[in-house]
Parts: sequence; C-alpha cells; structure tokens
Amino acid sequence: MNTFLRKNLLLIITLAVLAAFLAAASRNMEPSDFVITLLRGFSVGALTFLVASGFSLIFGLLDVLNLAHGTLFMIGAYVGWTLYVRPDTFVDLVTPLALLVSGFALTDGWRHLAARAPATGRLRRLAPWIGFGIAALLLAYILPRYPIAIWNVDDYAQSPVAYSLAASQGQAPLPPAATFKAIAPGAAVLGLLVSSALIALGLTLIRSSGQAGRPLTWRSFVRVTLLLLIGLGALRFNDALTAWFFALDTNWLFSVAVIVSVTSGAALGGLMEVTLIRPLYVRPIYQLMLTLGLSVIGTELVRAIWGRPEFTMPKPALFAGAGEGCPATSFGDWLTHYCSTIIVFDGRVRVYNEIFIPLVGLIVLISIWIVLKRSRLGMIIRAGVQDRQMVEALGINVRRVFTQVFALGVGLAALGGVLAAPSIGLSNTMGESFLLNALIALAIGGLTSYPGAALGSLLVGLLQQFMIKYGQIGIPIPFTDILFKPTPPIVPASTVLLMVIVLLMMPNGLLGKKE
Amino acid sequence: MRLAAAHPGFLTARDKVMTEHILDVQDIHTYIGQYHILQGVNVRVPKGGITALLGRNGAGKTTTLKSILGLTPPRQGSVVFDGQELRGLASFEIAALGIGFVPEHRAIFRELTVEENLRIAERRKGDYARKEAFIFSLFPDLQRLIGLSGGALSGGQQQMLAIARALVPDNRLLLIDEPSEGLAPVIIEHMMAAIRQLTAEATIVLVEQNFLVASQLAETYVIIEEGRSVQAGAMQELINDKATIRRYLGAA
Repeated sequence: MNTFLRKNLLLIITLAVLAAFLAAASRNMEPSDFVITLLRGFSVGALTFLVASGFSLIFGLLDVLNLAHGTLFMIGAYVGWTLYVRPDTFVDLVTPLALLVSGFALTDGWRHLAARAPATGRLRRLAPWIGFGIAALLLAYILPRYPIAIWNVDDYAQSPVAYSLAASQGQAPLPPAATFKAIAPGAAVLGLLVSSALIALGLTLIRSSGQAGRPLTWRSFVRVTLLLLIGLGALRFNDALTAWFFALDTNWLFSVAVIVSVTSGAALGGLMEVTLIRPLYVRPIYQLMLTLGLSVIGTELVRAIWGRPEFTMPKPALFAGAGEGCPATSFGDWLTHYCSTIIVFDGRVRVYNEIFIPLVGLIVLISIWIVLKRSRLGMIIRAGVQDRQMVEALGINVRRVFTQVFALGVGLAALGGVLAAPSIGLSNTMGESFLLNALIALAIGGLTSYPGAALGSLLVGLLQQFMIKYGQIGIPIPFTDILFKPTPPIVPASTVLLMVIVLLMMPNGLLGKKE
Repeated sequence: MRLAAAHPGFLTARDKVMTEHILDVQDIHTYIGQYHILQGVNVRVPKGGITALLGRNGAGKTTTLKSILGLTPPRQGSVVFDGQELRGLASFEIAALGIGFVPEHRAIFRELTVEENLRIAERRKGDYARKEAFIFSLFPDLQRLIGLSGGALSGGQQQMLAIARALVPDNRLLLIDEPSEGLAPVIIEHMMAAIRQLTAEATIVLVEQNFLVASQLAETYVIIEEGRSVQAGAMQELINDKATIRRYLGAA
C-alpha cells in the first residue's frame, strides 16, 4: 500500500487537486445544475473516449497517428443517420457492395492461378492493369445506370435532411424507388461480378511472389455463396426489404443503424490500413501526411454527398417520449413512458444524452479492457506495443493484427459518431472538434495508455461542460466580489490549459509510461 | 554419431546430401539501410547438437540470425531450412515452420506476466499446457515467478524466460543470441546446463561472445569476420588452434 502511494503520488495529487477544483466549483452551484453538468461532462467524455481509445490503440501498436480519425467519426455519424432516415438507400447499396466484394473472397483461387501464370514478361506486368481498366470501364457504365436511391443535395425536398425532419415529426414518407436505367438487371449483376473478379485477380497478380498458394478451400466457397446470396437476395426482394425497414420500430432501426455504422467503419478502417497505410510503414512522415489528406478528402466527400446543413438525428422511440407522464420522476416511471427527460435533483436530465451515452461509453470501456487483458488478441496487442519484431519472430502474423486493430479503432470512432448524431448532432466540423478533444485527452491521460485515454477523455468532457455552465452562472473570484464569466472561446482553451499544466508536471501524461 | 555430423566440410560442393543439414545458409548478403552488413555468409548447421557463430563485436553474427528469420531479409543468397527455401517468406511464416528465436537482450514483454510471455508463444492451442512441465523442470525459478510482470524480473530470470518462451511451440531449430551476456558466472553455469539439455529437443545455433562458454557448448563453429564467414569446422579442432583464435576472436 505504501509503495502504491509512493509510486502514484503525482497522480494522486493531480486528481486530488482536480477534485478540490470541482468541489470548490460546485460551491455556488445549484445541486441540479451540478448533477446535470456532471452528467453532460460524462456524455462528452464518453464520446471523446470512443474517438481517443481507437486513436490510442492504433498509435500504440502501429505507430500511426491517424489524423483522419475525426473524419471517420463523422462518417460513422452520417452513415448511421442515413440508414436511420433513408434505409432504402442502404438496401439499394447492399447488392453492388456484396457483388463487388465477392471477387475478393476467392483470393485463394486467384493466388493459385497467379502462381501458374508465367512469372515474368511484359504480358504478366500489363495484365493486371488491363484488367483494372476493363473493370473501371464496366463500373463507369453500370453504376450510373444502377438503381441506387440517392438524393440530390441541392434538392431540399428530397435530401435526407427533409426526411430527417419528417421522421422527427413522426411521419415517414416513402421516397420514390430507383429503377434500372437502360440496362438489364442481369447484365448489371454480371458486369459487377466480372469487374470484381478482374480487380481481385489483378491485385493478386501484382502482389504474388510466384509461390503456389493453397487451392480453393471450402471456406472461400462458403464466403462467395453467402455474398452472392446476400447480394442477389437484396436485389430480388429490394422493395419488400425497403418497406420492411420503413415499417420498423425506431428502436430496432436505431440498433441496425448502430451496427451498420460500426461495421462499415471497421470495414473502411481495415481497407484503409491494407491499401493506404501498409505500404508506408517505412515512411512515417508520409503516413502522417496521408492521414491528414484523407481527413480533408473525407470531409469534402461528406459535404458532397450530404451537404452542409447541421442537423440532429431524431432519437429512437425509447428516448423520445413526451406528453403524458413526462418528464419522468423515477426510473420506473421512465420505463413505462420512455420519456426523453427524467427529473434528477429537480433538474431535467435528457435520458439519451446524459444517461445512455455515458452508459454505452462505460460498457465499451470495460469490454475493450477485458479484450486487452484476457484475450489472445489483447495479449498480442500489449506485446506488440513494446516489440513488434519479437511478436513476429514468435510466428504471429503481426500485419493481420495491425489490420484488425485499425478496423477496431475506426469501428469505435464510428460508434462514437452514430451515438453523437442524436445528441450533439451532425455537422461537417464534428470530426475536427472531437479529434482535437481526443488528442488533448490523450496528451493528458498518456498517449498509449488505455486507462489514460479514459481518464483524459473524462477530464476533458467535465472541464468543457463546467466551463460552459460557468459561462452562464459565473465564477466568484475568492476575496473579491468579481463574478468571472468564461466566454465561449475559453471553453476549448481551458482544456488546452489543463493539458499544458499536466504535461509540465508529468511529461508522459497522468497514466502514461515513462519512456 | 555426432562427430560424423560435426564435419560439414565448409564450402564444399553443393551436391552434398542436404538432409544431414537442418539449416543451410548459402552466400547471403544483407543490407541495413544503405550499409552492406553481410557480404557473403555461409552457415551449414548439422542436425542435432549446437553450432556456434563466433566473431568480434559487430562482425555480423546477430544480423546472420535475423537474416535467417527474415527480420532483416537478405537480398542475395539462399537460406534452406529442412529442405525448404526461406527467402521470400515473411518472418512469422519462417518462425511458424519451427524456428525459435531468443534475441540479444532477451526482448521479454515487460507488460505481460511471465505466464502470458509463455502463452503468447503458443502456435497451437495447448502448446503451453504440454510443455509446462518440461519448461519448469529446466527453469524451476520461473514457476515461482509465474504471476509477475516480465519487467519485474532480473536479467538472469529474463534470459531463462526468453529461452523458455522459445520452447513453448514445437521448434526444431533454436536461434540463441548471447545467452551469457551480462549474467553472473553462477547463472551462466545454470544457463549452459539448460542449453545442453535442449539439444534433445532441437538443433541450436548459438551466438556467443564468451569463447569459453561457446567452446564448452558447441560441437561445430562458424567464424564471421566483417560480414563474411571465414572459417568453419569442429569445435575440438578450433580449441587447439590458438593462432586462429587469436586472429579472429582476439583473446584466447
């Protein structure tokens, strides 16, 4: 116990100072204000943590500072929101995506084929590019004619914003279904399959070292069959699926939105690692520039697809109750009416923002902690943070673990994004602000420390929310009668100030390891 | 039997029967950055027993081990392990063929407990459970330390753990780099006894600065000098060859 105290003295002092600060701060606050501000701090802290933890996992193992993490958080939010208000677009996208991926499920077979092809010669070098060219032409012909219910950003009535508004008022108008334009559905499907096969084969040809791979396993057959079934099934039953999604209870729809957003985030992250990050491990500066560039491109893409207006995703029914019996006065009361707010200490607490989000954050915190501490993957991650070469020398495919961790990190950010959509709302700048929050939180908590990411995020969230509250009620400066009201610019500045103070005292952050 | 295998015949014709060598490194050239570190290293390791890589500091012994494992992939030459060419394979694939690595400075995972340090080396489920008894019979100390984190161990304990970690999967070849470095004489004795016992399990390639240790352990040797292998043969002959020892290894 004594050694524990001595080892963690600085940390204990810092936390004690912060606790004293909070206690002093609460002196002239109403209890209701204090509780609500505390809960809001938890909420922002939980969202920051979802960005920061993924960022820190990726940085710890891969040494990649993923500056696109904030943008991926934002993309997660927009994808979830779109599924929530326009599930028809999602149903339309399933078929082309599944068909395009199916070619890659046969990689084992392509590798086998590539090993048999002559290993050198001009034809061998050109063949993949000819394949890519044909695939690009095919896709350029098919995709504009393929029915995907996409909106026109400039046409307000058809944009997801309009549907979002309608949905928040309880109406869900069915958007017009898209149809095949001057192309037979069979030809479109065949074209997609061919281009997918050409792309997958081309990539295998470029990468293969001439070594014979395993022949096709039953596993690849199962994968391909599954993808084809999903793709063709979604095409055949498109209308029924769309109608089913629109009729779905908003709670279920929200759950589906969360799942789709997290999976597409993870898939995007994995794809990004394999294609863009992996070739640049020997050039860390280029990697940094690449992620910075990707964040700009991502933001512009979001602007191009969804436009600029700032919007809040309608909350699922579970958290949107109003009218009779609301606001709830007790938990049981909330369970019967699903009120959007609940009375705590005479203050109105928004259930989704201030209770649900911190709860999800806590669950994620604990589950990732268990994965890190108890699973083999976690063991490899912890070992790899220290010595990647040694992990590889044990016969472990570290590159695959890299991809998995990148996918996990981006998936966490996407989860943060889709959770943030109904609370702080969607905007083109939400990514940047949360990336900044996360970076500050990690600097405070310790860049590669998982508990540090949690503590730092919590401190950043709390400090921000208390500063916002003080902007309304003011801080009495002791021994004077001056009432200091922090202006809005002081809110972000205060977290930076906390970071500077912490870093001056503990250069590795509160829970960071000494190098 | 071992003596017969101990005369690999350095740089003999390539048509020599391969099967008696578990590892055959032919004329590898390795670059680190722009530096040409290995400029033609040949190492033929007979099956069973211990082969020592000798040479001065910075001669390229560690790089040779890392080149075998593909951690610093050679640009030229060939590395054949048990009849299979290793060049072009990734490190993890090479290791998974049955090669264990005990690196210089041990490279124990400090954040992992002793048990996790062993478990992470599992290649198939149950490796650790099968080898547990053998490992603890070699290094009884480790059993006592099982719950401690790797960073809390002393140098000698870390060395034992590093060797034990290489024993968890079924490895046919162990690459051990400087096992005696920075250890007290008593612990070196213990380590040597343990390494001798390992020859029943696997062939060992040993990099060792301390000639006394190397000469007592190994049956065959390869001397590496400035990135080239310059001499190889039976350890027994080298021990009596004071001139060679003075020339390539400094002291006798």
